[in-house]
Amino acid sequence: MAYCAYNLLIHSDLLLPELAPATEHDTTLPAIVIRYGAIDRDGLPDGQPIGPFLWVNATSLWLHVPSVAHFLIREGREIVIDPAAGIDEDSLRVFLLASPIGVLLFQRGHLVLHGNAIRIGDQCLVCVGQSGVGKSTLAAGFMQRGYEAIADDVVPINAACEVVPGAPRLKLWKDVLDKLQWDSSALRRIRPHTERFNVPIVHPGPRRALPVRWVYTLERRRAEVPRIEAIYGMNRFTPLANQSYRIRFMTELALKTQHLALCGTLAGRIHLARVVRPDDAFDLEPLIDALLADIAEHP
Amino acid sequence: MGGIYWLASYPKSGNTWFRSFMQNLIEDADQPVDINALSTGQIASSRGWLDEVLGFDSADFSHDDLDQLRPAVYRWSTRDPEIGYHKIHDAYTFTADGEPLVSQGGTLGALYIIRNPLDVAPSYAQHSNVSVDEAIRWMGDPDNAFCWGRKKLFNQVRQQLLSWSDHVRSWVDSPGLNCHVIRYEDMLQSPTPTFSGAVRFLQLPSDEARIDKAIRFSDFKELRRQESANPFREKPNKAERFFRQGQSGNWRTQLTADQVARLIEAHGEVMQRFGYLDANGQSL
Repeated sequence: MAYCAYNLLIHSDLLLPELAPATEHDTTLPAIVIRYGAIDRDGLPDGQPIGPFLWVNATSLWLHVPSVAHFLIREGREIVIDPAAGIDEDSLRVFLLASPIGVLLFQRGHLVLHGNAIRIGDQCLVCVGQSGVGKSTLAAGFMQRGYEAIADDVVPINAACEVVPGAPRLKLWKDVLDKLQWDSSALRRIRPHTERFNVPIVHPGPRRALPVRWVYTLERRRAEVPRIEAIYGMNRFTPLANQSYRIRFMTELALKTQHLALCGTLAGRIHLARVVRPDDAFDLEPLIDALLADIAEHP
Repeated sequence: MGGIYWLASYPKSGNTWFRSFMQNLIEDADQPVDINALSTGQIASSRGWLDEVLGFDSADFSHDDLDQLRPAVYRWSTRDPEIGYHKIHDAYTFTADGEPLVSQGGTLGALYIIRNPLDVAPSYAQHSNVSVDEAIRWMGDPDNAFCWGRKKLFNQVRQQLLSWSDHVRSWVDSPGLNCHVIRYEDMLQSPTPTFSGAVRFLQLPSDEARIDKAIRFSDFKELRRQESANPFREKPNKAERFFRQGQSGNWRTQLTADQVARLIEAHGEVMQRFGYLDANGQSL
């Protein structure tokens, strides 16, 4: 089956209902392959381990997700999946569309941030931050107001400093759906027995790469109201580099220099700010209002 | 070669106080360390730490399946050039494969801080914004855990605490674990020998003047002064403040006779063993 996402034509042995099927217009896009195959259990013969379940060499990254699959990501062109015995396809998909696709995009020269991206006019904002800080909840809140989410979890940024649209879905926990009063009964769980769901992003018109204009690092702190503090000068580089998706990949892959250069270029073009949200309650509306006001001040 | 010394305790037993002491000892500066700049290490349950070393999202695993992976993350620390000192509230439990959760190969030892459960109960209640009776019930619950829910994403992974007694026994009686126990009450009443013993165990600088200065700079009055001036970032959402009284024996005015009796009934054996009850089962 062929799909279109990340500005790539993706030929995949594994069905990927999260992605849009490719059309005849997509045949000119660069093609990658996702296929099943046998993967050496002992890592990469000419590589080095960079984690208990990770190996890297000059062209490839080897990832073992225990009880799920081994993944081999090669030269930005191919992902091989060697599933664990008895594993379901949903479990393969949820891990495939996270670290392995993130690594492949790294290998293709993208800067990959951990967060999500929201379209604002003809540009986009990117929200980054630690797991559990509320990035997906914020993206869902923007969606509820009619804004389009263009990337979730893995945010690839190309050499032109544009976010390349990813899988058109948000992964949302049950408590977020409840908070927004969205019905989860018709949604697919991302894995069996989890309380996290695939929420499709349905938006009219083609999804295209959009320039990054605003990057917000979301933090939870003790505060009465949301607070936005702009980050200036030399201090802008580190927050971006630190929010790279799976920073271990970036520091170990041979493409480090290229990524750091892209970080520097991006830092020079964006409005970057730290966003503190009150830690005792997640009041979405005041936070979105504050962000939209900040965006209006820094068009 | 690195490896990990765990700073282990049941919640509200002096762990953060010890970390403040440790940071003051390491920095050896002319003024007390900012409580919001404590950087002695991670907490074992940090999702960020686990995800970074694993290379994939821990959020997409069940609690039990994730526990299977945690030892490999801690074992990886042996590749670090320096020793790590990390906080942990999990009890000393074992994975389904029989490996200690904190890993066999990555653990150099554990400093276990114990506090009279009669004083833990009101502090735990305040910390969690629940009644003292509820905190006492949790302390007796063998299934008590932090971050156990599955409908939302926590920035820490599930931590099985067990009951208070089982938490203590899990660490101090674990065969093969290099464990040094200190009492919160001794940190207050005999600080120099207590902190010095801990420092030697942890292979930290053990110069006496330096230890005494770190004790002074991490005194509870100082911690409270700082928290009054600036909110402490590790304070839970529901708690009014993190550093409460820093005293021992306050249970005498904070617990009812019935609450004391319930705690002694549930934890008397361990309390007696660590000097919180006399031979007749009377509180000291």
